[in-house]
Amino acid sequence: MSDKNVQRLPAEQLFQKEIDALIENEKYPVPTGWRMSPKSVFTYICGGKSGGVEITPKYIGHERLVEIAISTLVTDRALLLIGEPGTAKSWLSEHLTAAINGNSTRVIQGTAGTTEEQIKYSWNYAMLIANGPSKEAMIPSPVYRAMEDGAIARVEEISRCASEVQDALISILSEKRISVPELGIEVPAKKGFSVIATANTRDKGVNEMSAALKRRFNIVVLPAPESLESEMEIVQTRIAQLSESLDLNAKLPKEEVVEKVCTIFRELRAGATLDGRQKLKTTTGVLSTAEAISLLANSMALAGSFGTGEITDQDLAAGLQGAVVKEDEKDQKAWEEYLENIMKKRGSGWLSLYKECKELNH
Amino acid sequence: MERGPFVFGIRHLSPAGAYYVRHFLDQARPRLVLIEGPSDFTELVEDLGADQVKPPVAVMAYTQELPIRTILYPFAEYSPEYQAILWAREHNCPCRFCDLPSGVFLGIKAADEARKAAAWEDDKGPGPEGRDNEDGTGTQKTQRGNPGSFDVYEALDEWSQDRDHETFWERTMEQAKDLAAYEQGAKEFGRSIRQLDRRDRHDLAENLVREAYMRRQIEEAVKEGLAPEEIAVVTGAYHVDGILEDLPVMTDREMKALPRLDTLKTLMPYSYYRLSERSGYGAGNRAPAYYEYLWQGLRGQDPGYGARRYLSGLSAFQRRHGGLVSSAEVIEAARLSAALAGLHDSKIPTLKDLRDGAVTCMGHGEFSQLALAVADTEIGTKIGSLPQGVSQTSIQRDFYQKLRELKLERYRSVTASELSLDLRENLRVKTKKAAFLDLERSFFLHRLRVLGIRFASIQAVRQDNATWAEHWNLRWTPEAEIQIVEAVLKGDTVEQAAAFELKNRMEQCQGISQIASIVKEAFYCGMPVMVSAAVDALQAMAVDGVSVKELAATAEDLSVVIQYGDIRGLDRKPLIPVLCQLFLRACLILPGECACDDQAAGELAPAVGSLAAVSVAHDFLDRERFMKTLEQIGARDDLNTRLSGLAAAILLEQGIMDSEELGREVERRLSRGIPAELGAGWFAGLASRNHYTLIARLTLWENLSAYLDSLEEEEFKRALVFLRRAFADFSSMEKDQIAENLGEIWQVNPGQVSEALNDTLTEDAMEIIEGLEDFDFGDI
Repeated sequence: MSDKNVQRLPAEQLFQKEIDALIENEKYPVPTGWRMSPKSVFTYICGGKSGGVEITPKYIGHERLVEIAISTLVTDRALLLIGEPGTAKSWLSEHLTAAINGNSTRVIQGTAGTTEEQIKYSWNYAMLIANGPSKEAMIPSPVYRAMEDGAIARVEEISRCASEVQDALISILSEKRISVPELGIEVPAKKGFSVIATANTRDKGVNEMSAALKRRFNIVVLPAPESLESEMEIVQTRIAQLSESLDLNAKLPKEEVVEKVCTIFRELRAGATLDGRQKLKTTTGVLSTAEAISLLANSMALAGSFGTGEITDQDLAAGLQGAVVKEDEKDQKAWEEYLENIMKKRGSGWLSLYKECKELNH
Repeated sequence: MERGPFVFGIRHLSPAGAYYVRHFLDQARPRLVLIEGPSDFTELVEDLGADQVKPPVAVMAYTQELPIRTILYPFAEYSPEYQAILWAREHNCPCRFCDLPSGVFLGIKAADEARKAAAWEDDKGPGPEGRDNEDGTGTQKTQRGNPGSFDVYEALDEWSQDRDHETFWERTMEQAKDLAAYEQGAKEFGRSIRQLDRRDRHDLAENLVREAYMRRQIEEAVKEGLAPEEIAVVTGAYHVDGILEDLPVMTDREMKALPRLDTLKTLMPYSYYRLSERSGYGAGNRAPAYYEYLWQGLRGQDPGYGARRYLSGLSAFQRRHGGLVSSAEVIEAARLSAALAGLHDSKIPTLKDLRDGAVTCMGHGEFSQLALAVADTEIGTKIGSLPQGVSQTSIQRDFYQKLRELKLERYRSVTASELSLDLRENLRVKTKKAAFLDLERSFFLHRLRVLGIRFASIQAVRQDNATWAEHWNLRWTPEAEIQIVEAVLKGDTVEQAAAFELKNRMEQCQGISQIASIVKEAFYCGMPVMVSAAVDALQAMAVDGVSVKELAATAEDLSVVIQYGDIRGLDRKPLIPVLCQLFLRACLILPGECACDDQAAGELAPAVGSLAAVSVAHDFLDRERFMKTLEQIGARDDLNTRLSGLAAAILLEQGIMDSEELGREVERRLSRGIPAELGAGWFAGLASRNHYTLIARLTLWENLSAYLDSLEEEEFKRALVFLRRAFADFSSMEKDQIAENLGEIWQVNPGQVSEALNDTLTEDAMEIIEGLEDFDFGDI
């Protein structure tokens, strides 16, 4: 595997060392089909130590939700992660499967164009026409393969699929088998099979899930990070990981820079200043933690390629302008109000950022 | 002590502790049981253990002197202390409380507060960090000195795997598999907390003093002839080591040196709701109903009972309230919570596991969906009860005696019943007491209402017989019993307590209208002394500058009291000069306040109205002056025109202004050249009172008509908006009559006019008018 040339490695390869260490030092009973015990999965996600190896935390804050998610999978129920965009739903689902199965690639990406075949199985039509239906001519879906292997399949953005496609999952989750009438066979799921689905609560163009389907999932709602500190921690950890894999050639952002970005994002998201004293207009965008991360990565790229290698307020302002002002004049006005009413009055530490932002926002 | 007594460490309100304490006592077979709790409570042990006592109940000790301090010891069925008392009773074994007397507890507390306040003032000390027990009710509550302090528990939170000491305790202690495990665990728990405890030395000292006292109690028992091993001590886990340690016992001299306050004590029924409210103080727990399930599970030797009962309680609540919860979801919740427990090396889920499991599977991931069910299932509505006559407080005795005297006993039932009172003297009966029975009842019920005892609620009075009739709804709840017991803090009888309460409220009053409402309350409660005290306070405060609004509200309240004072047997004389004084003041400052904007005028108008009503109601008031004032307001052009109009309306009503004068005034106010909004505003003020006086005066409508004719297009539009508002609260019948007037003036059929007036607006017209409302008059 030429790791270096791959833009983004799957989690199980990126954190292979940690997974190996956890498996090696396993002390607790491992459920059928799993590679490590639920406790080790928890350690993998939330960080800790295993043997001599430091396990980096992948999901920060709300550890209890991680426990609930893992416990759900232990009881072989399907797991549905719901939340606003950028609350690390896919991230969590990827790492859960990476730790439990060592394979996070059994994924169906839900879109408006996803069909039922993509959830169950489809055919190699050339072979189908030439030889008639046969096992060889069948192309199993990731869910199908997961059932055969006794592993976990991921369905991303399930609410983007059409309702009838979503409902194809109902029989799979309740019967735990797929029937292939063309071949006259039924494939039962092996122990360890489950599904992790993620769904978005805020985006437009979302199909509400049917109650029947919802009942087959244990639902965990992932909230935005609780406090400024935990959001900063998330951003800093992820930025460090990203800059390593993306070769950004820039220094990691200083803590005060991260704090500024997180503060602005949190305030605009909540529609109030952090101390709760002042109300402000919210913007149409979500301003998720994920966006804060990509904004900083962007600024680093700007600084690395065209600047001194250190993020300046100018780089930051450009990123903020792009992230905050998404659609129309409304956003621009909200941003201007924020600049004038809040940022300008924050004192000297914020002054130069304010000037740069003001310059751009016209 | 060579071989110490048997000491069993517990946590107050611990089902497993309650269960194992019985095993412990069965094994130890003591001849004396000592229980942590103020030693002066020992006299209540027998009452506490009585068969008819249904926990939760509490023992409360309180000081009679101000500030009132209380100390409260609640017991649930699953309190280890309570079970120990029951065990002792069943085995004919003497049982005593062995902690510092309640008076000393409160004395230490008082001294402590004084010390901290002094340190605070000196600005040298660490500040009053331990002031968590002040709860703003005016009384200061001291809770049971629980083992360890808050920061210790915070440390525990951080250190335990569950990040929550409650869950930690439940997982390790409530799920202890046998007596030995519980005993050992409690001992370790107490020991670690002792080591972790980093409170300031005064707080630590209190615990050491308590333990020295407990050791003394043990030694005294030994002196009475018991062998140490014949004594069993049931105490908070924190104190186990302290009691067993070979330290000196408290000497007589030390005993004397302790600060001490005089206290009274009482048993009272308690509720799970209150128990859960106090969870932060270590004298309660967050989920009493759930803990009771655990207790029942232990009694039935069915460890899974609590979890099952809890989850099905949630689903039953959801279904009762229209939520859909399938049995499958309940099963999934049970499985998920078991798996969550599994992550923490345990088979039995804790409350936290159960709740999270339920939220995920039954609440679709959202706590809000289950919040009510959770509160209901965890806290429950259980209320304890005591047999009648068991350690009643003075106020309870007074309450029941009054019920008997006033023949209200039959209303003390859980079904609501109505009671109509006729406050007048009943002339058909002979004794004076019987003649005023209903009045006395009214006083009594009003006093209860003031005290916040939810037994009687008064219905809104109907106008026709408001002076002498009252309608009450009476319904007894066990909650009311608790409220009565708590009222003992305010006084020994219902009347005293009500007086205390009113006095307390009076001290917090900010303005005279608030005091006036206290005058009224005291008057309703039949407490003349309180009335005159409040009136004095009112007078004192009225010297400061107050607004007309405030004055009017006050005058209105006082007026009610004076008007109806007779029927309640009140001496009205002291009130009259006060009302006169306030009234005069109002007259003097009213014109000045009338120079205001429309918004303020809207607030001032009702005040002027009530002043007018007060002036009419009492002969002793200087009505002439008030009317002069109104005339002045009516005539001046520099005041808010709406208020000038209102003044004119009142004068008209009182017959002081005649038609001719009105005609002149209308012409003056509604003449060309005067801005339309001012003219129309004046008319709105005029029309805001007695509509009939206006309708009856044809000249007025002629004037109005002429005025409208004189306006130009733009001015007309402006006037229209204001006039439309002025006529908004005329009834359709009144509009009919206006139509008649106008019909006469315009020489048209009144029917047509009326139809036009009462017709709902067409959409076009509506649009035009709405357009006008937005119209910016400043531009013209």
